[in-house]
Amino acid sequence: MKPNLMPNNSKPIEAKTKTKNKKKLSERSLGYFLIAPAMILIFVIAIWPVFQSFYYSMFDLRLNNPGKSEAHTSYSVNLHTYLDNYPFLMNTLDEEIGEASGKTKEELEAIQADLEKIDSELQKDSELKEKYEQVDEKLMVMKPVSEDLAVAELDKDIALDLEKTVDETTDRVRELKGELKNPDDAIGLSSSLSDSVITPNFIGLKHYKENLSDGRMWKAISNTTVFTVISVFIELVIGLAIAILINKAFFGRGLVRATILIPWAIPTAVSAFMWKYLYDGQNGIVAKAFESIGLFDRMTDLLTSSNGAMFSVIFADVWKTTPYMALLLLAGLQTIPSSLYEAAAIDGASKWKQFLKITLPLLKSSILVALLFRTLDAFRVFDLIYVLTGGGPANSTETISILAYKVMFAQTNFGEGSALSVIVFICVAIISMIYIKFLGRDLLNDK
Amino acid sequence: MNKKAGPMFYVFLALFVFLVMFPFLWVLASSIKPVAELFGDRAFIPFTDNMTLENYESVFVNYPFLKYLWNSLVVSTITTVYAVLVASFAAYAIARLKFKGKTFILGLVLSVSMFPQIATISPIYIVLKNLGLTNSYLGLIIPYTTFTLPLSIWLLVTFFRKIPFDLEEAAKMDGASLMQTYWRVILPLAIPGIFTTAILVFISAWNEFLFALTINTDDAYKTVPVGIAMFEGQFTIPWGEVTAATVIVTVPLVIMVLAFQRKIVSGLTSGAVKE
Repeated sequence: MKPNLMPNNSKPIEAKTKTKNKKKLSERSLGYFLIAPAMILIFVIAIWPVFQSFYYSMFDLRLNNPGKSEAHTSYSVNLHTYLDNYPFLMNTLDEEIGEASGKTKEELEAIQADLEKIDSELQKDSELKEKYEQVDEKLMVMKPVSEDLAVAELDKDIALDLEKTVDETTDRVRELKGELKNPDDAIGLSSSLSDSVITPNFIGLKHYKENLSDGRMWKAISNTTVFTVISVFIELVIGLAIAILINKAFFGRGLVRATILIPWAIPTAVSAFMWKYLYDGQNGIVAKAFESIGLFDRMTDLLTSSNGAMFSVIFADVWKTTPYMALLLLAGLQTIPSSLYEAAAIDGASKWKQFLKITLPLLKSSILVALLFRTLDAFRVFDLIYVLTGGGPANSTETISILAYKVMFAQTNFGEGSALSVIVFICVAIISMIYIKFLGRDLLNDK
Repeated sequence: MNKKAGPMFYVFLALFVFLVMFPFLWVLASSIKPVAELFGDRAFIPFTDNMTLENYESVFVNYPFLKYLWNSLVVSTITTVYAVLVASFAAYAIARLKFKGKTFILGLVLSVSMFPQIATISPIYIVLKNLGLTNSYLGLIIPYTTFTLPLSIWLLVTFFRKIPFDLEEAAKMDGASLMQTYWRVILPLAIPGIFTTAILVFISAWNEFLFALTINTDDAYKTVPVGIAMFEGQFTIPWGEVTAATVIVTVPLVIMVLAFQRKIVSGLTSGAVKE
């Protein structure tokens, strides 16, 4: 392992003449030209989604609810859904009217009249009427209707009116249930019809307000913090010890280095599953070992008790990343000239004193960089916990990323999930700012 | 600290190597046991008298494991090639050319590499779903850019900076254009660095879990990490198959790590160590 020796860059001679100025200009535009593709990609695929997440987090966005599956800021109607249901609802009502008599018949006719009224109200707008007819035609011949064509913006009053009429229809038909032949048909069509009204699902910062007063969110933050602080601290201490111990010439360095790299290189999800096997309450060898040395009372405690699960997760993480930490620190150690230690030894400094006065100060920036990367990695932990405990038992290992994932993909609540992911983002930003403050601009400087 | 290593040191070293490797060794031992010996009393005996490969067979016969491996290979390879290619232009510009805003751009690249994946997943998922790209290779290659591109740029910049500037100056003196300098002088010297970057990017794409888990839910497009994580049966976990699959995934990685350890270490520590 060679230390990274930065070359002494000979600065290009300042351009003074006109031709050289021209060359410099072309160099500059070439520079921008070369970085453009990467910058565009990074902007579109990484930066835009973060802003979009924030945007989504202000909406009541639910993928399993057709009316809320997108972010809407205004009222509109989905004519596709509308025309898929409205004519059939009218037909069904017609049939029922034919069968019914007396009060029921009157009530059904009244319902129909109300629906017709709102339908004609809807078609008053010329632009909407045009779309209405186009969609109707396409549906007749069973052609696909594009999203653009299907959704038409609505006046707030008409939209609310439509929603109210349709909801009332559902209720009124339900009340007549005993009298009708096929009440479920009419109720079904009517409630599908109500899905055609799209109301704005903008809710501002409500998700944040709710989450910040939600015990589960704070529990997840505290779990994440506990996991991050403990695992990174242990990794640093053990990693530093290993780095110092193996920072010498010995036989079999290649083997040791490969050993160090393997836990790092294996997919986290796969190693998590491997640990799940080793921790297993009945057949896990590591669980058995911990039980026999008295660390846990019962083998099953490891994955089924709150403290046991947190311990298991941290232990698996330490196993996976301590070697990586040791590697980073070892590279830093190798840049410290041995002459410093020789001089210190001649002056009679003890090993401990040498560590405090030479190793630590000179290793400071390596330690901070390693800590920065590890802290951020640990804070966004997902794979390990998802596979090993799934956040359980009783949410005791549920980290903020796991919670956000569950809200988004298990509850299909993308609005709230996005709010949680923005919270993760803000936490990560704060952590990096703190580190960068300590590191200064070292990390980025040009030389 | 170039002291000679004593015998105690080797004892410590052996212990360390054993502890790190123990989970793998145990899983390897378990994978060749008959399923019945994975449970009960025999579960804690590392050796078996009835060595069998039935777990390995089952992984390929009862699970679409070969498909998972292929999917991972396709996605990781394409991601690596395209990310490293795009990054090499940007990194060359940042490391060698003079223009304003370089520090800012490098800072931006570094911050993007620290973005938590969960913060970008909801819009990416919705866009890919609307484009019909979920359950496709492209559906993973596109989002993988979020971490592979910053990683590639960051590593390549450090490698490009190590190439002596004198060579470039000499090429310029001889009248070579910037592109000629890049192709004829810089690139050949940067090949080892590019190769190292490619290894690290490949590993990071190969190991990715969250995007793969959410975007490609269809067995036909699952990658290895997700595939193995989903081995869980409805009531019991098929430990025999899990251990065998783990060994199958680990062995190529061990070979790769043994072959390229120097390069991987230089890549991992570059940028992290400053003079």
